[in-house]
Amino acid sequence: MADLAPPMPGMVEDLRRRFFASSLQSLISLLCLGVIAFLGWKLLDWALFSAVFGTAGGAEACQAAGGACWSVIAARWRIILFGLYPYEEQWRSALACAVVVAMTVLSCIPAFWTGRRIAAIWLAGTSAFYILMKGGVLGLSHVGEEMWGGLALTLFIFVATCLIGFPLAIVLALLRRSELPWISSTTGLIIDAVRSLPLISILFTFAIVLPFALPHWLQGDKLYRVIVGSALFFSAYQAEIVRGGMQGVPHGQEEAAMALGLGYWHRISRILLPQAMRNALPATINQFVIAFKETSLVVIVGFFEILASGNAAYGTGEWRFAYVEVYTFIAFIYFIFVFSLSRYGAFLERRMSVGER
Amino acid sequence: MNKYYGGFHALRNIDLSVARGEKIVVCGPSGSGKSTMIRCINRLEEHNSGRIVVLGTELNDDIGNIDEIRREVGMVFQHFNLFPHMSVLENCVLAPMLVRKLPRAEAEATALRFLEKVRIPEQASKYPGQLSGGQQQRVAIARALCMQPQIMLFDEPTSALDPEMISEVLDVMVTLAADGMTMICVTHEMGFARRVADRVIFMDHGEIIEEAPPEEFFAGSSNERTRQFLAQILNH
Repeated sequence: MADLAPPMPGMVEDLRRRFFASSLQSLISLLCLGVIAFLGWKLLDWALFSAVFGTAGGAEACQAAGGACWSVIAARWRIILFGLYPYEEQWRSALACAVVVAMTVLSCIPAFWTGRRIAAIWLAGTSAFYILMKGGVLGLSHVGEEMWGGLALTLFIFVATCLIGFPLAIVLALLRRSELPWISSTTGLIIDAVRSLPLISILFTFAIVLPFALPHWLQGDKLYRVIVGSALFFSAYQAEIVRGGMQGVPHGQEEAAMALGLGYWHRISRILLPQAMRNALPATINQFVIAFKETSLVVIVGFFEILASGNAAYGTGEWRFAYVEVYTFIAFIYFIFVFSLSRYGAFLERRMSVGER
Repeated sequence: MNKYYGGFHALRNIDLSVARGEKIVVCGPSGSGKSTMIRCINRLEEHNSGRIVVLGTELNDDIGNIDEIRREVGMVFQHFNLFPHMSVLENCVLAPMLVRKLPRAEAEATALRFLEKVRIPEQASKYPGQLSGGQQQRVAIARALCMQPQIMLFDEPTSALDPEMISEVLDVMVTLAADGMTMICVTHEMGFARRVADRVIFMDHGEIIEEAPPEEFFAGSSNERTRQFLAQILNH
């Protein structure tokens, strides 16, 4: 019996020790508890008990109520989610969102992490998205990129930025550690140059200025130029994150791989990158979250992603007063995506820590 | 063969030939160029002048030659350098599958055979981080053997180990020597040198000072520096 650890204190005992150890501490604890309960009650009352949900009474009845006016969401959710996309065709935009989400979820599952499967998923996903959104084939009416908006546009810009930016970041990081000094220093210069510019100015340059410099056949639609710009910005930051991860891999790892006769690409893909990405994972997830939220900046070059179409949803006419509700709704959508991302990051960390002592 | 680090002359006029099946032990004070010398044999270090010929192939800038030599020369490092993100078995089958293009079943069979030889077949599914230092080094030896090399290089294989684990690694190396493997070992384990070495090489300041069979080497060297070194490592 002597080698048993002393029993852990029970929950009640643990709470008593932490929060009610002395009379002053008990007082402070009770006070804080009271404030939290009061604020919680106020919030619940606003969001649920005194809130108006239906659209029956219209905007005026809604404004008169004491709580939140969720009617604005019921009345305007289509504008928030789909922007200027033609009303009758909005099912296509919804389906396209589902396609992007499905593509992302599938490519996050380790069973699909072979070159061929990932390529198939991305090819099928992006072409399905493009056909659904743009139409012009299969009996779908044509909808130009300038009409795309809302959640579909936000997701598309985010996913495209990552799909282009992430591989580009790995290439940049590898070039930066090249043994040829002119390659590593040129890459370093490019990365530093891009990082020293604000994203807004890059988006503006790619959307507005670039058409004057590029031949017509190379311009593409403004949307794709904006995506390339934001991917470039993403890759400059992510390249430094990947490089940091590579620096954490001991030099002996590459030497052992060389001594076994592995060639450059095998050393990179089997030995260096798996370990580097594991080191870089927390910062990488962070960068993805930032990229997701920065999609809202495309509004300055005239795109109605979800935040901008939310502005439009309450900005006109009768619902002008209900901006808090609209922003709460949009914040909730952002939260769902960002929270899933960080949960996925935690899953990856657990998975990759296999074999650690 | 010569090697420079900038202005520092790291290896001076090294002239050494090793016959098939020979076991060479290289010793000498730290910084004397022992490791650098054996790392030149599989081009982890580049030599600056002279020639290195391994198994009839000359080491030069030809990548094909380097790859060919690395396939036939196994190496064991002081710090094991196992791949921590792969299981022991994966560590062993990686190079045979990627470099020798063996099918997985065959590579795994070979791996298990060599893991048995280093006496840890039961650890095949564990990760390196779950093993002791001695076990890790034995896995590293098995990993190198899985490429079925003709020459094995050992770069201070027991220097990073706790004392009680040194003998399990040396035992494996003795077995390997008895099987007729060509071995070049940088080590300070003089007992091992006595038992298996055909020649002991003493290096200092980047030069080979002395080269002799172990009986002769330990019996009393004519060279002052060798005697000093031996006195330091044997009398403690």
